[in-house]
Amino acid sequence: MEINKVLEKLCCAVGVSGSEEGASEVACELLKEYADNASVDKFGNVTAFIGDKNNGKKTLLLEAHIDEIGFVVTYIDDKGFIKTAECGGTDRRLYAAQTVTIHSKHPVRGVISTLPPHVSSDSKSAMKKEDIVIDTGYNKETLEKLVSLGDRITIDGKFSVLSGTRVSGKAVDDRGGVAAVLYALSLLKDKEADYNIAVLFASQEETGSRGATIGAYNSEADYCLATDVSFAYTPGAKKEKCGIMGKGAMIGISPVLSEEVTEKLKAVASDKNIPVQFEVMGGETGTDADEISVIKSGIKTGLISIPLKYMHTPVEVVDTEDIKAVGKLMYKFAVGGAL
Amino acid sequence: MNLVLLEKLTSLYGVSGDEKAVREFIKSELPADCEIKTDNIGNLIVFKKGEKTPKNKTALFAHMDEVGFIITSITEEGLLKFTSVGGITPSAVFGRRVVFKNGTAGVIASKAVHMVKGDEKDKQPPLDELTIDIGVSTKEEAEKLVSLGDNCYFENDFFLFGDNKLHAKALDDRIGCMVMLEMLKSEQEYDLTCVFTVQEEVGLRGAGCAVYTADPDFAVVIESTTACDISGSDDENKVCCLGEGAVVSFMDRSTIYDKELYNLAFETAKEIGVKCQTKTKVAGGNDSGAIHKAMGGIRTTAISVPTRYLHTASCVVDTEDIKAVEKLVKAMYKKLCEL
Repeated sequence: MEINKVLEKLCCAVGVSGSEEGASEVACELLKEYADNASVDKFGNVTAFIGDKNNGKKTLLLEAHIDEIGFVVTYIDDKGFIKTAECGGTDRRLYAAQTVTIHSKHPVRGVISTLPPHVSSDSKSAMKKEDIVIDTGYNKETLEKLVSLGDRITIDGKFSVLSGTRVSGKAVDDRGGVAAVLYALSLLKDKEADYNIAVLFASQEETGSRGATIGAYNSEADYCLATDVSFAYTPGAKKEKCGIMGKGAMIGISPVLSEEVTEKLKAVASDKNIPVQFEVMGGETGTDADEISVIKSGIKTGLISIPLKYMHTPVEVVDTEDIKAVGKLMYKFAVGGAL
Repeated sequence: MNLVLLEKLTSLYGVSGDEKAVREFIKSELPADCEIKTDNIGNLIVFKKGEKTPKNKTALFAHMDEVGFIITSITEEGLLKFTSVGGITPSAVFGRRVVFKNGTAGVIASKAVHMVKGDEKDKQPPLDELTIDIGVSTKEEAEKLVSLGDNCYFENDFFLFGDNKLHAKALDDRIGCMVMLEMLKSEQEYDLTCVFTVQEEVGLRGAGCAVYTADPDFAVVIESTTACDISGSDDENKVCCLGEGAVVSFMDRSTIYDKELYNLAFETAKEIGVKCQTKTKVAGGNDSGAIHKAMGGIRTTAISVPTRYLHTASCVVDTEDIKAVEKLVKAMYKKLCEL
């Protein structure tokens, strides 16, 4: 699997929480290469099942979320500017003059409007969320024909290749995780896994892990390996709260995660020489793993994270070797001898 | 108006002091009958013989340079510290992609928003707290790709949107360059002098030197000027409006304009049926500030395209205003030649 190509396709697709269609379709197509039954459910989740429900094997769910942060159109003012609300937590330090796309029936492009320095004397404060106004270059009358309230908006984030194996784009959170699962499936192809494999690319993580709650229930999984992005160290951040970019998969250690699964992840990584680092948390992880682990009578869940810089910006940076390490760890977990 | 040419011009990299790529491109576009001089500071002075030699020598001016960044140091982690060349607001820098002339791509950001706590959340981080990430982990790796003093640029995203709106970087002042190039490419009634200046964005430094070579009686500066006709901005703070035509101002922070020429511009616009507006605020400045004081005084006027989000990667103009500026410049040129 060509990781850059797959990641680019996924990141360029659009799927703001609650309107994941674009990204779900792209992910579903990619998933079909490994599972004929891949499909999108009514809640925007992409699901698949590889194996045989009657073979007595336990089911292992591989999970990442498909949605991305963005905005939603709430109002069109008299001058034809669009007012918005957030879908997920956006970074208001970067709003000014960003180009955006409004995902209406036909995409409409625009710019986040900003007062020039000589009118706004305050350059030291970040823009307020309620001050976001989008300039589409249309008047109200025309705009109302093109854009509906509730349409989703994304800040444009071109996929670009940086030095070595590092790339940048929007929505690497968590399309990087989706790519890691697909990479694991590419390694598993034609191999005999110890588990039946269920796949879930969950919707609405950014608005509260809602898709995963539904998708994990329907998956009938016994175990789950969830993957999401976590923080890679950048200056100014606390080192103890960050992984290091390029140093491999981050195995989550937390009271809410299954100790059994976590210990096996550690053992597999050590046994198979997969680069890993550890991320210790005192409670909930802030990922879909929190919800998945309490589905039904509990799904034994481990969390593997991808170190990411500049989370929730249109210029997120990831090292594709770290994504591969996550995929490889999932693969070796699935063929390394069942729990 | 030649949008193909304008796209090429806006895509060129020409931060103040590093205008060579723009100068060479313009030279390559000039027809054979033009006399070309490059002065010591880098201004390009172009003369084209017309059918007649006018009583008054009038020169047109536009600047080649654009705002951008210069690398000032490299951290141990391989991140690039930088400062802006020309005035750029920090909020329009965060979360942007940049490129170097050798093709190295980078992103400007800081620690993730999730790690910003308390009062810091309301603060817009100043430029010196931001870094450019080119995807390397060490100073040594970075030094192979970037040297101190290298410039980098906003990535260009040239697109038409809304009602006749155009989005690109460096529309300030490649529109002026485009207008002059188009005039130089067509037959002229009067001898024509066009001056493509350097270093406007760092203090109107090139234009004064260019006057020394061009030696005109009158100067017409073709520029972009701040429009603030956006939602949340009241009438007096709009400065000027997109779609309302060419902007001729009576005064800005660099110049108190020649009253006779100011009035002549409005009369001429009326005569030829072109929309023309003035600025409702004494704001901004342009090469006129250097030109009108040079060589014992040059009578100067400026004709500008109203531009939203000036000095960001997302300059927005109305193409109808570009046409208005083009028509008014041509008509004013003839008027001044005959004055």
